[in-house]
Amino acid sequence: MARNLAKFLILFYTISICNAVTNPTPISDSHRSAALQLFDGSSSSLEESYEALRVFEILALENKPDSSVTACQKVVENLGSSSSLKDLFYALKVNGILKCKVDRGVFQDIASRLQATVNDASALVDMYYTIGSLVLIKDQAPDVDVLLADADGTFHSIKALSQSDGRWRYSSDNPESSTYAAGLALEALAGVISLASSEIDQSRVNTVKSDILKLFDSIQKYDDGTFYFDEKFGSGREHQGSLSTSSSVVRGITSFAAVTSGKIDLPGDKILGLAKYFLGIGLPGSAKDFFNQIESLALLESKRVPVPLVLSLPATVYSLSKKDQLKVTVNTVLGSAAPPLTVKLVRAFHTDAKDSAVIEGKELQYDQSSGLHVMGFPDNVDVGTYVFVFEMALHDSGSENDYAIGGQIHVPIYVTGIVKVSNAEIAVLGSDLGSDETQKTLDLAGTDVVSLSANHLQKLRFSFQLTTPHGHAFKPRQALLKLKHETKYEHIFVVGNTGKKFEIIFDFLGLVDKFYYLSGRYDIELTVGDAVMENSFLRPLGHLELDLPEAPEKAAHLPPLPVDPYSRYGPKAEIAHLFRAPEKRPPQKLSLTFLIVTLLPFIGFLVGLLRLGVNFKNFPSSALPATYAILFQLGAAAVLLLYVLFWLKLDLFTTLKALGFLGAFLMFVGHRILSHLASTSAKLKSA
Amino acid sequence: MAKLIFLILTLIPILCTSFSPDKPSDRRILVLVDDFAVKSSHSLYFKSLQSRGFDLDFKLADDPKIALQRYGQYLYDGLVLFSPTIERFGGSIDAAAILDFVDSGHDLIVAADNNASDLIREIATECGVDFDEDYTAMVVDHAGYAVSSTEGDHTLIASDDFIKSDVILGSKKIEAPVLFQGIGHSLNPSNRLVLKVLSASPTAFSANPKSKLTSPPSLLGSSISLVSVIQARNNARILISGSLSMFSNRFFNSGVQKAGSPTKHDKSGNEQFLTELSKWVLHERGHLKAVNVKHHKVGETDEPSIYRINDDLEYSVEIYEWSGTTWEPYVADDVQVQFYMMSPYVLKNLANDKKGHYFTSFKVPDVYGVFQFKVEYNRLGYTSLSLAKQIPVRPFRHNEYERFIPAAYPYYGAAFSMMAGFFVFSAVHLYNK
Repeated sequence: MARNLAKFLILFYTISICNAVTNPTPISDSHRSAALQLFDGSSSSLEESYEALRVFEILALENKPDSSVTACQKVVENLGSSSSLKDLFYALKVNGILKCKVDRGVFQDIASRLQATVNDASALVDMYYTIGSLVLIKDQAPDVDVLLADADGTFHSIKALSQSDGRWRYSSDNPESSTYAAGLALEALAGVISLASSEIDQSRVNTVKSDILKLFDSIQKYDDGTFYFDEKFGSGREHQGSLSTSSSVVRGITSFAAVTSGKIDLPGDKILGLAKYFLGIGLPGSAKDFFNQIESLALLESKRVPVPLVLSLPATVYSLSKKDQLKVTVNTVLGSAAPPLTVKLVRAFHTDAKDSAVIEGKELQYDQSSGLHVMGFPDNVDVGTYVFVFEMALHDSGSENDYAIGGQIHVPIYVTGIVKVSNAEIAVLGSDLGSDETQKTLDLAGTDVVSLSANHLQKLRFSFQLTTPHGHAFKPRQALLKLKHETKYEHIFVVGNTGKKFEIIFDFLGLVDKFYYLSGRYDIELTVGDAVMENSFLRPLGHLELDLPEAPEKAAHLPPLPVDPYSRYGPKAEIAHLFRAPEKRPPQKLSLTFLIVTLLPFIGFLVGLLRLGVNFKNFPSSALPATYAILFQLGAAAVLLLYVLFWLKLDLFTTLKALGFLGAFLMFVGHRILSHLASTSAKLKSA
Repeated sequence: MAKLIFLILTLIPILCTSFSPDKPSDRRILVLVDDFAVKSSHSLYFKSLQSRGFDLDFKLADDPKIALQRYGQYLYDGLVLFSPTIERFGGSIDAAAILDFVDSGHDLIVAADNNASDLIREIATECGVDFDEDYTAMVVDHAGYAVSSTEGDHTLIASDDFIKSDVILGSKKIEAPVLFQGIGHSLNPSNRLVLKVLSASPTAFSANPKSKLTSPPSLLGSSISLVSVIQARNNARILISGSLSMFSNRFFNSGVQKAGSPTKHDKSGNEQFLTELSKWVLHERGHLKAVNVKHHKVGETDEPSIYRINDDLEYSVEIYEWSGTTWEPYVADDVQVQFYMMSPYVLKNLANDKKGHYFTSFKVPDVYGVFQFKVEYNRLGYTSLSLAKQIPVRPFRHNEYERFIPAAYPYYGAAFSMMAGFFVFSAVHLYNK
């Protein structure tokens, strides 16, 4: 948990370079607007109402949502009935802020009830709520008798739960000790002292003080000087996060410090570290965390412990071109003004040259009107990243123990400026370096581009110079030259430097393999950028027509390039089916003409028959053969008609069926008429 | 890589068993954090999810009691990994369990950061996203940084290079740049499912911000992806971001001014960008369904069991998009139907009536065989629709060919005149004397 939190916090709240201490800024207006968002007046329980009211009180918010009527109603309800200790406690806390109309008698009842039970409670939490409620009644109704008769005994029974390492147990039958409980216990003990009818034995108070110091021994620490309390992983009770644990301890020690006369010798750097921890959380998203953060910060500022003073810089990025001044503010954690003090810049050094200081021992001017400590940058500060080391000194040396100011504070500072880019040259050289075949100068501030061409035996040289505003050589973090082939394949080169001059020479003979033997157009782009360079740029320089030899068989192939996602989706082209073209046919007229031609022989046949003078004298004259002859001719006509029908509408099966019947009939009548005709002609012959 | 192929292969047959097909949005989401402080420092993001009806279950990533499934049933519909530093999850969860979770159609949101653990990197790699292998690297942009008076190392980037897709980022244009501070990643070119949603600017590079560049950075320019999404073949959606802080309240509320741009926005685009993106990832947008696939001959209403070549047919389908609460008609003019046998014979755009009903008509090709009506709808950001319906096509029957062909009349004429002649000849031959 602690390990994860540490990582987490380092992730989110510290953007630091070179072990510099982070500089959290005090509570500001962003907290106020966040508070209004988080506590929107829709609190359901008294605890939540109290948290909202307390936050509004601390932040002194003007336009807070007014929920005092409903809250007071709840307070009166809870005070009147025999509600749980926790509800009673928070009802009294809300009442302390809202000052609802509550009868003195009600307080009297509660006080007597609580006084009776205070020594019965065995659990720390119950004692905490009982004593806390009594203290609140004492504040709200001073004439009610709330004093504890056996304060010593109560004190002892709470102290009995303490552990040797300064932590407390929740109850006597629970062996687990907790830091959160220590905070509750300290607050309860402070309550007992203020409620005691007679003075508590000073030696007992002193043992508690040493317990507090022991508790501070178990404080956790980040590398950046932030301190916090955390619960050792325990099972059983609900786990408290480090924020609520730290805030509980802060509540405990501040209330204990308030009631004891003697000093508790709390280490100032740890108090400052705790303040940094609470500030480092930034803007918490939950109401509970917000309350814990704000209340703890308010308590740290309440002068019961050394008041932490926070040195913060409104900006850590300064521009030389805008002639910015170094500005430092010193505030208390809640953002109110610090006592008169001097801020001294002990040392300032470049991050690359830690040993040689650029500025040493300089006091910042205090500007009364803006409340800022300011200093102009001396001339020897060039662009770059620096670490400034500050120190605070209070004017009133007597109050040194009242404030926690910490030691030296390291702040990373970026000094930015405009870097001059000059003398840019691009040239294609012959195979020996001496002969410049095409040399072109470029104005890198402009937009002009060059077009070059080269083959694999030639070289390309590109050079430029970078100078800082103070005329020194400047080496940017990013000086990259990009060659981009038509196929979108990119080659990236770092441009190296000697002094001011940056130069890169491409020997294409050695690069053919790297270029995958791809000839064609390469676009050249130069990127120069640095954190302290205000005019970082990406600039197309032009293009190079490169003629490389054919790739040998074993050469590596171009790795796959990412596909443009937009082209992968989208509709496909429509496809329509191509139908088979119908066969070519002669024109209808031609067919009809040929139809007439095919009918001509039949007509000729009929005309020939008439010319020959056909007769039907052989037609049988007797009735039966004549009937057969007619039937036979009708049958033959029916078969032929069937064939016509077959063409017009019938299918093969119907036709064959009909033909079967007709055929049998035709055979019968055909046989009859043919045999009749045959016998007639035989008679004729024999006659 | 082999694992990835296996993953994709196993995805194909698995249907989304987790959400009911009627309501594809997720409901229960497990949020794994390194520390509960994330719950408070990122509360605006979580609140936006909760206000949309999601049930968030916050757990520490190393909590020994966490589990994704019990008795073979998944307990959650989505998983949010806001635990970039976790080396080993508690309970039964490991990288394989998370990939199985995605394989069964569940959604995943992963946020890494500049000290992302191997475990988080492994999960990302399995999804086709490769974070910079240099553990100290961060994305630095000396020309596209967010102007800030307190952060001078240019790792706080203001990026406005979004994917052009209304379905992923919502129809409202994101005006303000998005603040990003973290690590960059590249997309595996062989993975066709992963998309760059937020890209770095051409001047960005990924390297240790504290040291000077001596060799070319492995990731450079707009090929660096800051936020990517993946839609698997089973429509599970994954969001991978290289920055956890971009989800934080601090970034949501902070103002932003991109270097070199005169406009200062009071509020960064993070809230809009990430909220809209979460709507997509959690299937509140871009989830399509197709119902009522119908086809019939023109002039009829019943679906035939077979078509004849050259028939005219009508095809229709209804497509709806899930809006988070209801199915709304989907309106687009690029839905296409294919009449397919080995290759598409007909590919036609469908017309629609703006109420989700898509229809068209076409002539069956003069090729017989077993065809399919296919709708393969793959659009950027939408779940893919793949409909196939098999239908056989037969040739003409013997009596369905043309009967009276003028070109054949001479042949018919010859035959019938021959028959008439035969009839006359037979009468003459029999009865002439």
